[in-house]
Formats: sequence, structure tokens, C-alpha cells
Amino acid sequence: MEFKSCFDIIGPIMVGPSSSHTAGVVSIGNFIYELLGGPPEYASITLYESFSETHLGHGTDKALVGGMLGMRTNDSNIKSAVEIANKRGFIFDIHLQDYCPYFSHPNTVKVEAGRQGYTMVAGGASLGGGLSKIFLLNGKTVDIPISTNENISKLAQPYMCSLKRQTSLGGSYED
Amino acid sequence: MKIESMKELIQQCEEEGKTISEVMLDMEVENSGKTHEALIDKMTARLQQMKDTIDLGIQDPSSSPSGISGGDALRVNEYVKKESILSGNYIGDAMSFSIATSESNAKMGIIVATPTAGAAGVLPGVLFSLHKNDNTPFEKLVEGLFTASALGYVIANRSFISGAAGGCQAEVGSATAMAAGAIVELKGGSPEQAVHAAAIALKSLLGLVCDPVAGLVEVPCIKRNVMGTAIAFSAADLSLAGVKSRIPCDEVIKAMYDIGSEMPRTLKETALGGLAATETGQQVKERMFKKKGGFE
Repeated sequence: MEFKSCFDIIGPIMVGPSSSHTAGVVSIGNFIYELLGGPPEYASITLYESFSETHLGHGTDKALVGGMLGMRTNDSNIKSAVEIANKRGFIFDIHLQDYCPYFSHPNTVKVEAGRQGYTMVAGGASLGGGLSKIFLLNGKTVDIPISTNENISKLAQPYMCSLKRQTSLGGSYED
Repeated sequence: MKIESMKELIQQCEEEGKTISEVMLDMEVENSGKTHEALIDKMTARLQQMKDTIDLGIQDPSSSPSGISGGDALRVNEYVKKESILSGNYIGDAMSFSIATSESNAKMGIIVATPTAGAAGVLPGVLFSLHKNDNTPFEKLVEGLFTASALGYVIANRSFISGAAGGCQAEVGSATAMAAGAIVELKGGSPEQAVHAAAIALKSLLGLVCDPVAGLVEVPCIKRNVMGTAIAFSAADLSLAGVKSRIPCDEVIKAMYDIGSEMPRTLKETALGGLAATETGQQVKERMFKKKGGFE
């Protein structure tokens, strides 16, 4: 019973073109934004399966970047998220892979991101209808369902202690 | 409180003497702790957004950034107004409203996912056609959204609603089933009839693959939304006439799940097979990827 509310089915109000490739991904980006306490300075993004094949057509990259900049699913600026990120000095790169080794679902993404000396790695899946979940966080398997109706800030709060402090060598250790 | 099958949904309605719409609203009140009024307001905002999207889309002659869609809502709307439309005004208006919504979606315009963005045209198309041709008031259309959401909720939890997971049958198929059931309830049919309509609609879309050209939610998605509105009206008419689905709705949903699970990866929103793999589909893709960053 992953879908819990009528508003998971009728909704979200969102910018197109795809609830799973756009809206659900905005939410995954939002979770990262909230976890880091603001937009990341850099991110390394890996898109798997359906995401890797069709991300350009669906604006999946714009959705994820927009989400990490704090834009919500119905923000018409998502269209220009990549340009906005460039202007703000948010550096990211995108890698494409066929199968996600961590979670079996066609719409999966892994993001390594950092802000103000803290780093994190999150795996997210977009389940359809704008519903998504975080299945991997800083090396641990988790199950954090994200609905666009929820307060994502509240959702991310308990996990903020799992952020890692980056060392000068670029490696990381438990804070 | 949760409802796990169409059978349970009908039972619940019959025991309490309520419509599907009322049962869904009660369940949402119980699960969310919010008031009926607050939830109705929230759903009304979604209906209003659907209308705004249609009003904007129906007079928009522009093409999508890819150049493979746009302007058809205007075209169909003019035709419905001028000619005597073969499929009648209900389906005619639903078709133009549906294209208006799906064309906006392709341009990264604001839409309401029902249940997904790829299938966002079916339900608004059907509801605002009823509004125009029947004077069905706004409040009733909001009820229709609750009915549709209940049907979609059962389908989503028993099967899938994303093209990547289950093909287009999961997206336009689910949306069409939801729309068919909503029409039946708005026209005074029983919960059982609404569920039969949903089953009949979903059956006629079983096996439909998700093969978007260049991975864009445009070809064939926009026109499949249009066909969804026509099927929704036909399925609703059949059910209101007393025709039943010989296969119970829950079993149809199970069949959709099984078919989607067996569907090859190339036909589940990867843009590797079907129409995406045609000569023209490939040409569109090549053209897109030559542009820097693909778009705009």
C-alpha cells in the first residue's frame, strides 16, 4: 500500500511532462536540499535505466537540479533550473548507467552531493504519480517514502545526523 | 482505514449507502485527520488548475520545444465548433480539452497528474466536457475527482500507474478506468456500475506499451489521452446500460500487473522500442540530441 492518499492519485499540481521523471524527481531533489540545509555546492548524479534513456525528454536533470535548489513540483522555474544552477555556481555532472545495483526499479537515481563541508550519498526511486522514496542514504539501506503532499523538511530532519564531514583529502568519515 | 480491492470498495459503499466519492472522502478524513471541508478545498484547487490549464492550452498555437507537438487543441476545438462532429459533442469537447492539457504538459506547463502527468489529459477532458454539455456544476466535478481517485488508489496499490513500471496500460489505462467510473457516478450510476465501467475501460487498454518517441511525453502520449476520453465515455455508456464486465475489476487489474511485469524493458518508457524505434521516431531522436543539451 504505497499510495496512501487520494492526493497521491489526483495530483500533484506540477510542471510537466512526467510525474515519475519530473515531479517525483523534484521531490528526491527536495529531500537532498532539506538534508543539506540548502542547495548543494556540487553534485555527482547517476541516472539508471528508464531515467538514463529518457532524461532529456522528460527534463529529469532539470527536475533533480531544481529540486536540489529548493524548487517545488509546481515551480515554473524548473524549466530553467540548469541555467539557474550555473548562475549560482552549483556544479554538477551526470552519469548514465543501465541498471541500478542498489534497488530494482526502472526510475532510479544516485546523488552524491556536498555543502559547507558536509557530504551525502542518497539513492532515490520515483514510483509513479509523483510518489518517490529514498532507498539508500550514506551507505545504509533506508525506506523513506516521499509524497509531494508531505513536509519534506520534517521528513529529512531525523537523517541530518547521518551527514558526513568531508576531509581535506576529499575522503569522508563519520562525524 | 484502507481499502485494498474494488470488491471491498463496493462492499463499503453498499454497507454505508454511500457513493464511491463519499467513501473516499471519509477515508481521507480518517487517515489525514483533516476536515471534509479542507479536503474538498484541496481537491477543488486541483480542479481549478485543470480548468486553467485547459483555458490556456486550448488557444495556444505554439509548438513544444521539440517541435513534434502543439496546436492540435486549437485545431480540434475549431472543428468541434464548426462541423457536425461524428463522435458527438461529449467526446468532441473531451478530445479538445484533453489535447489542451497534454500539449501544455509537453511544454513543461503546469498540470495536475491524474494519476500521472503522461495521462493528465483524460480526466480533465472528460470532466469539463460534462461541465460544458451537461452543466454539471463544479462541486459535482470535485466529487468526480474523489470517485476517480478511489479507483486509481486501488489500481495503484494492486498494480502500477507508471509507464516505466507497467507500460501505457498503467498510465492511460488507469486514467481511462478512473474517468469511466467517475462519469458513471456523476450520471447517477451505482458504485458497482462505476467499477464495471472501470473494468471495461481498463480491459480495452490492456497490453498497451509505453514507447514515447525520443523519450518525450508527446508522441504517441497526447493522442492516447484523447482516445482514453472516447473509451471512458463508451465504457460508461455500456455500464449505465447494464452491461457488466465478465472479468471482475480486481482480476483485470491483476492481469494488467502480470502483462506489465512480462512486458520487455524496451517497451516500458525507455524509448527503445515500438513507435520510438520507427524510422521517423529515430529521426526525431537524432534531431533532438544534435541540439545542445537536447532542448531549447
